[in-house]
Amino acid sequence: MTARSLQSGASARERAATPSLWSRIWQNDAPGYLFLLPWLIGFLGLTIGPMITSLYLSFTDFDLLTSPDWVGANNYMRMFTNDPKFWASMRVTMFFVVFSVPLKLAFALAVAMLLNRGIKGLPMYRALFYLPSLLGASVAIAILWRQIFAGDGLVNKLLLVFGIEGPSWISNPKTSLWTLIILSIWQFGSPMIIFLAGLRQIPQDMYEAASLDGASKWRQFVKITLPLLTPVVFFNAIIQTIEAFKSFTPAFIISGGTGNPINSTLFYTLYLYQEAFGFFRMGYASALAWVLLALVGIFTAFSFLTSKYWVHYDE
Amino acid sequence: MSDGPAKLTVVTGAPAPGRKRLTSILIHVALLSASVLMLYPLLWLLAASFRPENEIFTSASIIPSAWSIDAYIRGWNGLRTSFATFYLNSFIISGLSVAGNVIACSMAAFAFARLNFRFKNFWFAMMLMTLMLPYQVTLIPQYVLFRQLGWVNTFLPLVVPKFLAADGFFIFLMVQFFRGLPKELDEAAQMDGCSPWRIYWKIILPLSMPVLATAAIFTFIWTWDDFFGPLIYLSEMKSYTVMLGLRTFTDSTGESDYGGLFAMSVLSLVPIFLFFLFFQRLLIEGIATTGMKR
Amino acid sequence: MTIRIDRRKFLMGSSALVAAGAAGVMPSWAQAASLRLTFWGGQARADRTYAVTDLYTAAKGTAIEGEFLAWNDYWPKLATQTAGGNAPDIIQMDYRYIVEYAKRNAIAPLDEFVGGVLDLSTFDQDQLDGGKVDGKLYGISLGANSVAMLVNTTAFEEAGVTPPTNDWTFDTLMEIGEAFKAANIRGGMKAIGDGSYSEPMLQNWLRQRGKDLYTADGKLAFDEADAIEWYTMWNKLRDAGVCVSAEDQAIDTGPLETTMLVLGKSAMLQSNSNQLVAFQTLVQDKLGMVGFPRVAAGVGGGHYRKPSMFFSVGGSSANKEAAADFLNFFISDPEAAKVLGVERGIPCLPSTREVVAPTLDEQSQVALNFVANLGDLLGALPPPPPASAGEIDASLIRTIGQEVGFGAKTPEEGARDLIAGANDILSRA
Repeated sequence: MTARSLQSGASARERAATPSLWSRIWQNDAPGYLFLLPWLIGFLGLTIGPMITSLYLSFTDFDLLTSPDWVGANNYMRMFTNDPKFWASMRVTMFFVVFSVPLKLAFALAVAMLLNRGIKGLPMYRALFYLPSLLGASVAIAILWRQIFAGDGLVNKLLLVFGIEGPSWISNPKTSLWTLIILSIWQFGSPMIIFLAGLRQIPQDMYEAASLDGASKWRQFVKITLPLLTPVVFFNAIIQTIEAFKSFTPAFIISGGTGNPINSTLFYTLYLYQEAFGFFRMGYASALAWVLLALVGIFTAFSFLTSKYWVHYDE
Repeated sequence: MSDGPAKLTVVTGAPAPGRKRLTSILIHVALLSASVLMLYPLLWLLAASFRPENEIFTSASIIPSAWSIDAYIRGWNGLRTSFATFYLNSFIISGLSVAGNVIACSMAAFAFARLNFRFKNFWFAMMLMTLMLPYQVTLIPQYVLFRQLGWVNTFLPLVVPKFLAADGFFIFLMVQFFRGLPKELDEAAQMDGCSPWRIYWKIILPLSMPVLATAAIFTFIWTWDDFFGPLIYLSEMKSYTVMLGLRTFTDSTGESDYGGLFAMSVLSLVPIFLFFLFFQRLLIEGIATTGMKR
Repeated sequence: MTIRIDRRKFLMGSSALVAAGAAGVMPSWAQAASLRLTFWGGQARADRTYAVTDLYTAAKGTAIEGEFLAWNDYWPKLATQTAGGNAPDIIQMDYRYIVEYAKRNAIAPLDEFVGGVLDLSTFDQDQLDGGKVDGKLYGISLGANSVAMLVNTTAFEEAGVTPPTNDWTFDTLMEIGEAFKAANIRGGMKAIGDGSYSEPMLQNWLRQRGKDLYTADGKLAFDEADAIEWYTMWNKLRDAGVCVSAEDQAIDTGPLETTMLVLGKSAMLQSNSNQLVAFQTLVQDKLGMVGFPRVAAGVGGGHYRKPSMFFSVGGSSANKEAAADFLNFFISDPEAAKVLGVERGIPCLPSTREVVAPTLDEQSQVALNFVANLGDLLGALPPPPPASAGEIDASLIRTIGQEVGFGAKTPEEGARDLIAGANDILSRA
């Protein structure tokens, strides 16, 4: 392929000799690139430059205020050999990813299925369930979460009815991460909407045919819904995992950017942010970012490789 | 199969009236109680916005001791610029972002999902990669870039990237949905001599209403909720967005107007909620595909 | 200037340098049509500040474009602007960050304007020194404040306990704590918040013992034995129920509304004198103010008058002299003084203090009197902290304090890790 494109740029005589090549390129490649054009302009003009710059910075000491100094792989060396906070934040993030992503997806899918039954008041429920996601990164969330999960918060008042005296969930290092996982699940609106859109694409006549054949609801779910929904499941799983790895805002607003108590909510990107803007080590922060990218990239590539065994496209 | 009646076919199980009603009641009970649980925090927020200021953090009850709309009046004009201006700015930025994202991302997604061209997989991988790098480390190089373009203190850094499909999330989302549409449609159209543009415009887009509506909803809400972009790129208060205005209500080190914050937080939810209500109807359009598939 | 261009060259690898370089050459401040000002704070501070910028524009003709942000948003934006070569002319600076910004020339030394547009002849000496880094003046203090113990006097009355005075000691604290425990008001309100990971409180305690956090050459000025004693003392207070539990204290993530005082979990809270007014708006009870407890009766010298915040001039500002002129107006103009009050702390010019004093409300008066009458509590100004003091506070003092509080570490382990970790960070910087 490379050989051919090199050839095509060679000389006018050659081009004239192979007129079909150009028309073939035009026929085969041009439409694709034309549709891709806005993205390509954005990628090459706005995105790739800053990305490469950050890669370069990861090999430097850069304090934001003066020029960066090249330090080779020092940042990466330090990370893996002499930085307990790196490992601590990695553990917190891994824990968060492992628990929040499956729970959130299962919850979103279950609600989407429930809402896809053509029940009365569907638009109202859909809107109600989406409401928490509207709040986004509002400062109000931090205050709300304290009202619920502090020692004298709502949860403990409910527990007290059953005679249980609960801890201050949000400020106890053993439980604080769970309050963030619950926050993430609470804002399950986006995957739910995407699941709903996916469910809407499944042709109803398939279910009708299956019903006539006497297939149970569960069988219909396993044989029709799940397989046809796999592209959407695949998408949600990949995106939610990437987002969970990059998760920043919940910990930032709830812990006031500290990652406390005792670093129990020190998410990877929160640590990265502290290093970059709190302690003026943008070089080190960039290295942290590229390690995260490598990690998430490997995960994603692996998912794509296995996807041909379980994701069904209509092709 | 004609698509007229199919449109009206709504998912209903086998007709068994008595049992169906019971199931239906049970589902409603489950959904309603789940809603209350989900919404408690929002109700607290609503109550707090009507509370006297010094009671917000000290009172345990959810019902305020006295109701007052002072916070709304105070909040609306609490900053030097009225919230009306912030709303206008947020609408402009979010509206343009929706247009940009829907157009540019659907084009790129169409290319990735339906067309063949050289290095397609490479570009797709690049697109995914942009999703994986935390924005905190590209912030400063990007700021320098936009400053060189003279775009700082304008809406351009917030809007132009949307028209250039900078958010890979939506491309990936649409690719997944476009790939779910039957290939025979394009093949048949191609046989009839349709250009890729016509296939995109006449076949793919009309069949993709749910995902386009999803993209529109998410773009609007996420742009509305975003504060970091506006924080970095907008400096004059008259160009602030609602979210940025909200954040200036509270300063953790000094006097803050919490009542105003809560009142304006509640109000800031109204437009995105209405946008959601309006556009979610399009999500249902997916049923139209029923008659055409297979 | 060269530094700035270098960075741009590498960041962009592009050619627009010429334009940027040309814009930098604009020496005369008389030409300045407008100045950019940035500060953190809430609307109350913004209203006062903008009133003064309006006064200045009316008097001198130079327009001031002000921008204010919340504390958490302020620093990333300022760092981004500075890195992008787009820093404002006048920058509100914190004691915590001034060394960091000064050492990197992100803010400009003002010595050349002193005696010129900046008249500091009667400026309080300790406040002047507080704005110096490596002997050069980088920030003009906008007000003095001091650490102070906020006291919920209503709660003391309710519990039937006599509120402390400036004479009180840690032993008095123990007694007050026992009395509060016995009174058991408001669902078990404690006497005080947990101060074991409050950096100002640790510093105050160390200074009373004749030590400090840092030496003038940026090394640790206390040792493991001090730290062990500190953690042991707080463990005792915590176990006795004098201060709140570790779990409750951890709810405090910084904002005022998360503090034990506002949440009604403690009757006293370690804070700053200039924050009394802000706290008062959040609670229904009446608040008062005393000094931090003494380590023993008659021992003083722990407190000092700290610059609450500075105005600095951007290192790349093209209008440094005009900016300095504005600073002079801001601290000395009588009309401006009346508008500003003591919102940023006690003014540092005697003439300004005289103008301000009669205009103050009751709470501001309390703060002013407290700082003016510290007596033997007042000690010398400590040397400016090293640049990484902020990191030591955030990642060691806070975290280890919590670890000891939750029982994850003994005082001995905590003290060992604190000293070792701090030395590591200090050597890295």
